[in-house]
Amino acid sequence: MKHVIIGAGVAGITAARTIKELDSNAEVVVIGDELFLPYRRCQLTEFLCDSIQRDDLLFFSIKKLNELGIKLRKGEYVKSIVPSEKVIKLHHNEVMHYDKLLIATGGKPGLGLVLRPFKKHIHFYYSLYDTLILKEKLPEIHKCTVSGDGVSCLDLICILHNLGKKVTYITRGERATFGLEEDDFEGDLHEFLEKKGIEIITGEQIVSVEESNQGYKVETIQQKTLTTDIVFAWDFYKPNISFIEGSAIEKKLGILVNTHLETSEKDIYSAGDCVEIYHPIIKDYWINFGLPNALEQGRVAGMNMSGQDEEYKIRDTITFNLMGKSLKARWWK
Amino acid sequence: MRYSEITIRFCGIAGDGIVASGKILAGACANIGLHVMVNNIYSAEIRGMGKSSATIRFSTSKLYSMGDGLDLLVGMKGKESIIDLRDVKAGGNVIYDSSVIGDVEEEDSLVSHITPEIQGHGLPIQKLANEATGTNQGKNLVAIGAICYFYSLPPEMFVDQIKSVFVHKGDHVIDVNIKAFNLGYEYFKEHYPLNNQFEIDKSSEPRALTSGNDAIAKGALDCGLKFFAGYPITPATRIMEIAAKELPKLGGWTLQMEDEIAAIGAVLGAWFAGKRAMTATSGPGLSLMSEMINLSVMAEIPTVIVNVQRGGPSTGLPTKVEQGDLNIALYGGAGDSPRVVMAPSNSEECYSGIQLAFDIAEKYQTPVIFLSDLFLGQRTETVTIKENIDRDRCTRKKPTSEQLENFQRYQITDDGVSPQIVPGEPGAVYSTTGLEHSVTGNPNYEADVHSMMTAKRFRKFESMVSDLPEANILGDETAEIGIAGWGSTIGSILEGMELAKKQGIKTKLIKSIMIHPQHEDSFRKFFASCKKIIVPEMNYQGQYADLLKSRYGITPIEIHIPSVNPVSPLKIVQKIMEASSELSK
Repeated sequence: MKHVIIGAGVAGITAARTIKELDSNAEVVVIGDELFLPYRRCQLTEFLCDSIQRDDLLFFSIKKLNELGIKLRKGEYVKSIVPSEKVIKLHHNEVMHYDKLLIATGGKPGLGLVLRPFKKHIHFYYSLYDTLILKEKLPEIHKCTVSGDGVSCLDLICILHNLGKKVTYITRGERATFGLEEDDFEGDLHEFLEKKGIEIITGEQIVSVEESNQGYKVETIQQKTLTTDIVFAWDFYKPNISFIEGSAIEKKLGILVNTHLETSEKDIYSAGDCVEIYHPIIKDYWINFGLPNALEQGRVAGMNMSGQDEEYKIRDTITFNLMGKSLKARWWK
Repeated sequence: MRYSEITIRFCGIAGDGIVASGKILAGACANIGLHVMVNNIYSAEIRGMGKSSATIRFSTSKLYSMGDGLDLLVGMKGKESIIDLRDVKAGGNVIYDSSVIGDVEEEDSLVSHITPEIQGHGLPIQKLANEATGTNQGKNLVAIGAICYFYSLPPEMFVDQIKSVFVHKGDHVIDVNIKAFNLGYEYFKEHYPLNNQFEIDKSSEPRALTSGNDAIAKGALDCGLKFFAGYPITPATRIMEIAAKELPKLGGWTLQMEDEIAAIGAVLGAWFAGKRAMTATSGPGLSLMSEMINLSVMAEIPTVIVNVQRGGPSTGLPTKVEQGDLNIALYGGAGDSPRVVMAPSNSEECYSGIQLAFDIAEKYQTPVIFLSDLFLGQRTETVTIKENIDRDRCTRKKPTSEQLENFQRYQITDDGVSPQIVPGEPGAVYSTTGLEHSVTGNPNYEADVHSMMTAKRFRKFESMVSDLPEANILGDETAEIGIAGWGSTIGSILEGMELAKKQGIKTKLIKSIMIHPQHEDSFRKFFASCKKIIVPEMNYQGQYADLLKSRYGITPIEIHIPSVNPVSPLKIVQKIMEASSELSK
């Protein structure tokens, strides 16, 4: 039985381990688009500020992969899936056959049409690769401009501030909220950040980023001009599933799965930040993100791929610890 | 990461521009003062049919061998490169073509064989080459562009080299190749921005690049080579090509003969006529020449035979290295047939050694077999050759006027060397033959004459020792572990010794370009000072070890590597460590 897992994050690797633990003879291939061994994305900030070393990020070692007999293929991505033939096609035209397939490719930030032409001047803060680049540039950075949403954006702003950088945050909204339940923040997140010295520009949007003598020149939709040493921006964060286009796998924002994490196509499962699971209470699909969910979904998917009958129990909200405060996030909603 | 030394291999099929890749990268690195060594491996088949690879090692420090393992493998053709993955170091990198047209099955995909210890990097080589050149050419330049960015090497050093390499093909070819280079560079800059740093000393002077074959040809020309006759054979043909190009400019001749027997016959004829002459061949050719070498011995006509060894026996492995011809060089003749055997260990010794070979051959009227090998002959390396140009030199022992009056071509002398004239020289008759002969050169089969003449021919080898260079002893003289090596294996031994030193193990090496005869006292003294002796070489039998055992009565630890690739320094270290742990018991 050949199990192919697309995605070498926490969900994918947990599924691989689960499969091998249930059936050591199973062939398990994990395809990850990052250049590194599986790591804990949620600890990147700690690595950035040198609280932990790079090796501490490691989620699964080569030794462990070898012990379990999991074949990891790093730095590769899938171009398309043909469920009727049970094959996937990789970016370099390699054709790989599978018996059971798991899609666990997570989500990723992206740029809209306006900012896309300036991509080469814009940094993301999402992967270890992004973090390594940022780490290398940190000594030269004094002023940072950030535009984006979500917990990772707030996390970035906080770490840059803690590292002594001057941070300007640009948001389209009237206030800086980052998609969090502000009630849990004991007050106003926007004010909290301003008191910390973060400059927040509301009702604005970056429309161009150009190199200048003093780093980068940022222009906003209301023709405001800023100079900065580095620009972090993303317009959205969404499931990384473009490769399923052309297949009959049902999707909305993410891949639609039942509580067994089965997709609409036979023998294809999906887990982690790239799936939308039907929520019986809200009567709709939603993305159940975060490390604990990824671990659990990986485990459940691995069990079901191995012929078990395991159901995933939906969790309503995810709680984060940020600067010593407990936060709840809605994420995709 | 920061690097001060990198080993890169381009791998594809013949026609992919693999050798040109090595040439461009090596030339660029040498121009900025780096030390470089390049080893090309290709199939014996014609273009498009076989695998080809070029391995380039460059460093801020002197290089002695190709080292161990690859930092980067560039798989121009995926399937053909799969086996080379085993040479990539843990933490090393692979660049593969991500723009292959048509489906590739998993088992044939280079990428599917990349282990997690290695990092793969997709580069649309074919696609970018098409974009740059409008053809399938330029793939190598796309890859070199990516490498340039990946290791933060200065792009201008490559642009200059591209111009230099393609100057004879015109501006268009230069332009499209530079474009291909730039596309590869920009692709990596965009997709793999986190690059590595190679430390470059900007004050370094450019270094000269040469190969062992080139150095042999140049050394011969600079010491008065007037005539070359040969028959093309891999890996020695390059020597004939240079001779054919350069000798006419110096008033000399090059003849391509119908086979190797004719070639050495012509060379003997030239020496007989008083001209410095040479042939170059490989194992199969040397086998054919063996009877004419005997003629050289018996008639005491000098000759210089370069044998660039390849894998054997028979046609064997025409494009792979081996040191398997030592026995035929030493003993490959009927009767008591002494000959000088020399083996250079690097390109500098190829240059100076071949000059010594001519001087000895001429002075002692003997064949000299100069044993290079494919790795040494074809590898390109940065060298500092001390030129010694004297094209009129002559070491022939000429007769005194008294000797000329009653000329005895094979006069018995204390040193075994008889005066020699050029046929037709006034006042004397030069009679020679492959039959046993008297002092005048007339056939003679008497027992005492044969004994006398055989002794005379061997006596020359005792006399010549004073003209030979002393053996070199390198490393720590107080070491108890000694290594004896020969030929191109010396480079790997030196690097192996360096690695052992880093682990606190002292070693020393005895090396000599002279295989036979040798300064035997130096070897005896060296071996007497060692508790363990290691003899590594690239053949199955341990041919050099056998020579040393019979000559010096030693019992060495032998490393026999019937090799297709140069010896790995790690193999040497392994034996050193074994010897060390035995000594510490």
